[in-house]
Amino acid sequence: MSKQHTFQQNVQDYLEGRATPEQVSQLNQCLRDDPEARRAFREMLNLDSFLKDETEAMMHAMTEDQADCQRPTYAEPPLTRQQQERHAPTARSRSNASWLSLILVVAASLLVAVGTATWFAWSPEFAIVEYAAGSQGLSAGMALGAESHFIEAGTVQLVTPRGARIVIEAPALFYFESAQRLQLKHGRLAADIPREAHGFTVITPTGQAIDLGTKFGVDMPESGEAEIHVFQGEVVAQSTEGGKLRNLRDSQAFRLQSAVGTPSSFRSGAFIQPGEVDSLNAALQAGQPKRSQSALQKLRDDPSLIALLDFETQEKHPGKYRNVQGRWPGSRAAEFVQVGDHMKLDVGGERLWPQLTLAAWVRLDHLGEPFHSLLHTDGWEDTKKGQVHWMVTRLTTMRLALRDNKMAPEEQSHEGFPDSETSVLPEQGRWVHLAAVYDSDHKTVRFYFNGTFDREVKLAQAYPARLGPAQIGNWNTNDRTLSGRIDEMLILGRAMSDTEMEQLFAAGNPYR
Amino acid sequence: MLMSETDRNARFVREFACHEVAIRAYVRRLVPSRSDCDDILQEVAMVLWEKFDEFDQAGDFRSWAFGFARYKVLSWLRDHGRRRLVLDSDVVAMIADESLEEDSLLEQQRHAFRSCFKKLPGNQQMLMANAYRQDMKIQEVAATSGRSTAGFYQWLYRMRQMLLECVQRQLASEANP
Repeated sequence: MSKQHTFQQNVQDYLEGRATPEQVSQLNQCLRDDPEARRAFREMLNLDSFLKDETEAMMHAMTEDQADCQRPTYAEPPLTRQQQERHAPTARSRSNASWLSLILVVAASLLVAVGTATWFAWSPEFAIVEYAAGSQGLSAGMALGAESHFIEAGTVQLVTPRGARIVIEAPALFYFESAQRLQLKHGRLAADIPREAHGFTVITPTGQAIDLGTKFGVDMPESGEAEIHVFQGEVVAQSTEGGKLRNLRDSQAFRLQSAVGTPSSFRSGAFIQPGEVDSLNAALQAGQPKRSQSALQKLRDDPSLIALLDFETQEKHPGKYRNVQGRWPGSRAAEFVQVGDHMKLDVGGERLWPQLTLAAWVRLDHLGEPFHSLLHTDGWEDTKKGQVHWMVTRLTTMRLALRDNKMAPEEQSHEGFPDSETSVLPEQGRWVHLAAVYDSDHKTVRFYFNGTFDREVKLAQAYPARLGPAQIGNWNTNDRTLSGRIDEMLILGRAMSDTEMEQLFAAGNPYR
Repeated sequence: MLMSETDRNARFVREFACHEVAIRAYVRRLVPSRSDCDDILQEVAMVLWEKFDEFDQAGDFRSWAFGFARYKVLSWLRDHGRRRLVLDSDVVAMIADESLEEDSLLEQQRHAFRSCFKKLPGNQQMLMANAYRQDMKIQEVAATSGRSTAGFYQWLYRMRQMLLECVQRQLASEANP
């Protein structure tokens, strides 16, 4: 074997980590003595750098941005076959992918991570699954590396070595680039970042969010733009197309669109947050979905049933809303986000209903508008006495208004309509069961929160309820947007008892 | 965060993004493995960020960064040298210093590698890509190519040699039209 050949073999064994101590010793000798050997060595290692960058780029069928300066590259881990079936690959701007590695490093530099989690010290794992609720393929205790994960249903809570807690709700496709960088291709995520993990970054196809010490959420629909919501603290957001860095603070939201990005309405409740997942999981383990199903079946057989929407069928109700995950892994709910979102409904016909029960599982994202519609029949005309408007008010109480009904003189009421005593505010950002039972014969409206009786309002004038064309989540006359999700909605032509209401809640409760 | 800090972030990110490939290649020439290189690069980035205020905005970011990278690598070698098979520090220092002088040539080579690499048949490019994947064992990659592990390494070595020769030819012909 020629000297030249031995040298080449030694260099390549060295760069592959296969060199023996003897080979390294020969290399030292050779490199120390021979400038030509050093040149050859540098060129081989330079080639190795190139090949690493180039092949990573190739795996993603992308080309390096060859502008006036070279841009860095990051590999996107390949999907498993199973994942590929579900996910059509999307092109990604490589140039934006990596600049953040720095910034984040940035914040990382502010902390000397003092043994936050020694389990992680020498492992290539970027996070551990803390809780998993109905997400197939991921279970508590599982370690996540750089591989891609697709969750079709459910919710997972992850914790990184530095203690960042991240909840990701299905459907979602994501992977870690490192313990401080998470790529979210689509899905909904809430992050709670402790000081040790400042700088944690979430990268989406339309932009990225860099934590500066905070709790925040990222909503990345399968098509559309990412939204960043800051629950507390501060986040830097930037659109993929090189927009300015933008600082967001408490209760601000921002949509990452091409280059600029736009402010957006804040919806903290849209995100399942750390702490909620274990409770969801406990309910799953306890067999709640099955219990809920049998309760729904019973209702479907109820002769007084007017409508029971569970949003599970493929058939889409008319209107403008998103189809998202409901209370159970893989179940569906309607989500109302933008001003003008609504779902149309026409049930109950011209018939008059002396008794009426309205009940829904609702997840309220944002409160504070004058009215948030649960169910509003179209219009508000004096020719339609008894037409129904069910909503959450600016005082965050529930209201059931029927056209031309009058309150009993002894009732204290804020605006002349039957309102609940309890506020929904503490339940914002959680699934809550809201119900109202109307009885025109007894002239009462009874409110229920999570199956518990809240208050009865007495009426002096009580017309039978009138339904017909209506909207869920809005009103056709003025904007009364509901910001949030509605899972089941029950409209029943009789008055449910307290016990029935309690059972309805218990059977459908997604928490334990 | 103050606006000036935001500006600072943006400036830093811009500079680093421009030179990251070169800095990584520089570090790679000085450490034994690709994963060591990634680890050290992270540390280098951190230091650069911390010291960015001291960087002369009119200066050359790349050579400024190389200085810190060199220092980081040498201290890494000192810390890991006892447990790992690494080159002697004096040798690494020589390579580092000469790397600086040759930086533009090495960058030119990295550009030229691409056209040589693209001339390889698709299946060979793929095989090469698999060999560089961190999540795949080289034994598995070898098996998919129908070779023994040792045989696969020899194939890989030959391919690298060929690419180097291709680039040398290409750069020589550009120099002498």
